[in-house]
Amino acid sequence: MNETHTSATQEVCSVRVGDTLYGVPIAHVLEILGKPATQPVPLAPYFVGGLVHYRGEVLTAVSLRRLLGMEASKTPEDVLVFENPDGLFGLFVDSVGEVLHVSAADHEPNPATLEARRQALFDGAWKLKDRLLVSLEPERLDPMRLASSFPA
Amino acid sequence: MERCLTDLETRPGDTELLADIFRSVHTIKGTTGFLGFSRLEALSHSGENLLGLLRDGKLSANPDIISGLLSLMDVLRGVLHSIDTTGAEGENPELDSAMIARLDKLQLGEASPAVAAVEPELAAVAAPAPTGKQRRPRAPRKHPHTQSAPPPAETGEAGPLGEDQEEPVDAEPEVERNSRPAPAAAKPSLPARPVNESGPSPAPETQAAPTSGTADSTLRVDVELLNRMMNLVGELVLTRNQILQATSTDANFALLGRRLDMVTADLRESVMKARMQPVSHVFSRFPRLVRDLALGLDKKVRLEMEGQETELDKSLLEAIRDPLTHSIRNSIDHGIEMPDVRVANGKPAEGLVRLRACHEGSHVIVEVHDDGAGMSIEKIRAKAVERQLVPPARAELMNEREILQLIFLPGFSTAEAVTSVSGRGVGMDVVRTNVEKIGGKVEVDSHAGKGTVLRLRIPLTLAIIPALIVHSRGQNFAVPQASLTELVHLSTGENDPRIERLENAALYRLRGRLLPLVFLDRLLQQTPREIGAPCDIAILNADGRRFGLIVDGLADPEEIVVKPLAAVLREIGFYAGATILGNGEMALILNPGAIAQNANVSLTAEIEDSSSDEKGAGHRDFLVVEVGSRRAALPLETVVRIERIPRSRIERAGSRPVLRFEGALLPLDDAASDLVDQGGDPEAQTTVVVCRDGQRHVGMTVSQVLDVTGGSQLEEAGSGLVADGITLLHEKVTGIVSLANIPSLDNVVEQAPMEFSLPAEETR
Repeated sequence: MNETHTSATQEVCSVRVGDTLYGVPIAHVLEILGKPATQPVPLAPYFVGGLVHYRGEVLTAVSLRRLLGMEASKTPEDVLVFENPDGLFGLFVDSVGEVLHVSAADHEPNPATLEARRQALFDGAWKLKDRLLVSLEPERLDPMRLASSFPA
Repeated sequence: MERCLTDLETRPGDTELLADIFRSVHTIKGTTGFLGFSRLEALSHSGENLLGLLRDGKLSANPDIISGLLSLMDVLRGVLHSIDTTGAEGENPELDSAMIARLDKLQLGEASPAVAAVEPELAAVAAPAPTGKQRRPRAPRKHPHTQSAPPPAETGEAGPLGEDQEEPVDAEPEVERNSRPAPAAAKPSLPARPVNESGPSPAPETQAAPTSGTADSTLRVDVELLNRMMNLVGELVLTRNQILQATSTDANFALLGRRLDMVTADLRESVMKARMQPVSHVFSRFPRLVRDLALGLDKKVRLEMEGQETELDKSLLEAIRDPLTHSIRNSIDHGIEMPDVRVANGKPAEGLVRLRACHEGSHVIVEVHDDGAGMSIEKIRAKAVERQLVPPARAELMNEREILQLIFLPGFSTAEAVTSVSGRGVGMDVVRTNVEKIGGKVEVDSHAGKGTVLRLRIPLTLAIIPALIVHSRGQNFAVPQASLTELVHLSTGENDPRIERLENAALYRLRGRLLPLVFLDRLLQQTPREIGAPCDIAILNADGRRFGLIVDGLADPEEIVVKPLAAVLREIGFYAGATILGNGEMALILNPGAIAQNANVSLTAEIEDSSSDEKGAGHRDFLVVEVGSRRAALPLETVVRIERIPRSRIERAGSRPVLRFEGALLPLDDAASDLVDQGGDPEAQTTVVVCRDGQRHVGMTVSQVLDVTGGSQLEEAGSGLVADGITLLHEKVTGIVSLANIPSLDNVVEQAPMEFSLPAEETR
C-alpha cells in the first residue's frame, strides 16, 4: 500500500459501482473478465457475489455492491481478478473503465466522517479534476479477510 | 553417490560428503551381504575400507582414489546389471581380485601400476559391448561421470561432457597418463568378457534396452508438476465434454470427437498412473510400529501384509497414513489380548494383525484385521447411552451394525473408561473424518472374542469423479454418483400421495419403507418451488444415512473435475467443491454426508437395509418387469439402463431385432412381442432394458417396468437344492430372465446372409 503514497504517479484501473468511481492499482489486477457467466452460491456470506470460471479455476468473487450494502445489479457485471496468498479471487463491479494516471500528491486519506464499514474498505481517495476516485486495495477485499472482519 | 564422488574431488575436505558416500557404500555392503550376493559384498567391503580411511582423515582424496572408487562403482553396477538381467551376480574372480587389490593399494596411499591393468577390465564390465568401437552402449550422456572409457577417438572432442570435471570423467586419458599399456591391448579382451554370461553378446540396439533396467527406466518427477499435469488433463476433459456436446449433431465431427474422447481418457489414465504409488510406501513403516507397540505392551503380535503392490494416488496415500497408523495402534492396544488371556481363550499366544490392500471397482480397500477380543455390542450400546450419544429408547432399537457405527461418533472416543470397556475407539471419529475427507468410507465389523476388521474404502483418485447433474431453482448442482442409489420422478410434485408428513418431517414411501426427504431449495434457502410442480427425488446413501433429496429436475451424468472452493465457501459445509460442466456452466458439488447430517438424517434409516442384507447369501435385488401379461425379474446388478425409445429406432439384422446403443450394436430379445404387436406405427414407444451379460450388453423389450425389490432363493422341498431360474418376489414366485439365452450377433450374417441389411439412414 505504501507505493500508493510514495510513487509520484501511478496507473489505476477505474471501475464504477453505482455512482461512485473507484480506482485499483493496475499492478494488482491480474485480469479483467468482461461480463462472465456467474454461478451464485446459496448460503454463502452476503458479500460473495458468486463463482466465476477463470482459466480452469473456479474463483470466488466478492461483490462490491453487496459489500457496500447496495442493491444487486440487474445487469451482468465485470469481474477483476486478483491474487492473494491462498490463490485467486474475483471482484464484481458494475463496469470497468479506463486506466487513469494519478499522482500521490492528489491522494487524501479517508475522511473521519465516513461510515465505519467504508472506512475499513477504502484507502482514501484521489482528487481528480472533476470528481473523486476512491482508492481500493485488493488486499482488503480478500474473501477470507472479509469473512473475519465483516461477519454476516 | 556418483555425484557425491565427483563432488568430493572438487571438495576433498568435505567430511559430510565423505560420510554420505561411506554410508551409501556401507548400505550396499550390508544389503548385499544380507541378500547373499557375496561378490558385491566383497567388493563394497574393500571400497568401504578405503572410504573409512578417507573419512577418518588418514588419507585425503586424490584423483587416483576417486577414480578407483568410481571404477569400483562401475564394477558394482556391472554386477547389478547382471543380477538385473540374469538374476545372478555372474563371476569374474580376476577382475574382482584386481579391483580389490587396487583399492587395497590405494589404502596404502600409492597409485600402483596395477591400476593400469585393472582399468581396461573395468571398462569391459561397465561397457560389455561386442566390439572395440562400440564401447559406450549405456546411454552415457545422462551419466557422464560413469563413463570410464570413452573411445579414444572421441576423447579429444569429449569436451562438452567432461570439460569441468577432471579425472574421473575421462578415465581413459587418466589411465594413459599412468603410462599403462595402450588401450588397444585391452580391447581384444572385451568380447571375451561379457558380464552378461548368457552367450554371445547381442547386437548394440538390443543391448541398450536391458541397460536401462537399473537406473534409467524411472525418473523422479516433482509432485507439483504432476499436480499441474493433472489440472491440465482435467481441463482437457472439460474441453472434451464441451466439444462432444457441440459436435453431437455432425457425423464427421462426432467421429473426431469420439477419438478425442478416447485419447483424453487414455491421457488422463496415464497421468493418473504417474501419480500412483504402491501402498507399500505406507505399509513399510508398520512392521516396526507393530513390533515396538507389542514390545511396549508385553504382547505378542505378528503382522501380515497383503497386496502391498496395490497402487493409490500419492495424495491419498499420504492421507491414509495417519488413519491406518491409528487403526493398527488400536488393534494392538485394545484388540489383541495379553498372551495368557489368549491362551486361556484357546487362541495362539501370538496375536495376528493383518493389513490387506486390494482393488475393488473404482476403490481401493485397505483392511486392518485383528484376531483380538473384538467389541461387545452390548457394552458399546450401554456406553453410548451412558455418554448420552444416543437416547436409550433408540439405542434399544439399533441393530449390531448400527451400534458398531457408534464408535465413530466424536465423544465416544476420548474417555479412558470407554476404551477400556469397549476395547476400541480412541479417536475413531478422527479416523473416519480423515478418510471421509478424501471421499472414502470406513466400515467396521467386529465379533466379540473373534476380532475386528476395519475397512477403509478409498477412491482411486480425487480429481475426477462421476456425478449426476441436478437442477434446483435454475441452478446446477452435482451429486457424486458414489452416494446415489436411485432416482424417482414425481410428476405431481409434492402432491404425490406417496409423500407423507409426520409433523414437519416429509417422508416418501418407497417400496413400503419410509424415506426421509430433504428439499434442496429449502435447504439452500432458494426461492421455493410450487408445491405441485414436477420434481425428482435423488435417493442418496451417505455413509449409511439414506435420504431423498428433492430437486427440480435431472440432467445428464457427467465426469466432473473437482475444483476446490475458497475457504469462505467451504465453511458452508454443503458443498464439496465446484466444477465446470460440459456446456461451460458451473455447478456446485453437493456433499451428501453434510446434508444428511444437517437434516438430522440418522443411521436408523439403514435398519431396514441392513436387515434385508442379512437375509443371507441367496438374497438379491431384482428389477421387476411386466413382459406381455406375466411378470419377470432381472437381476438388478446386470441392469445398465432403462430406455424409452420409439419403435423406429429398433433395426433388424436378419430376422433379429437390434438396437444401436452407445455406438455399439445390441442384440434385443423381443420378450414382450412389442415389436410385432404394434406393427406399423413407428412412433410408438417401447421400453428396452439394457443389461450386462458377462462381457456383452443385451437388450430386452418389456411392457412395463414395475419395481425394484429384493428376492430370496427358493429351495426345492426335501432336496434343498436352490431353484435356479425363479425367485420369490413380494411373496410371488417370479421367473428370472436368463440373459445368456439371448443369442449373440456374431453369426447373424452367416445365418441370414440374404436378409442382412442395415438401413442406410440412421433414425434418431
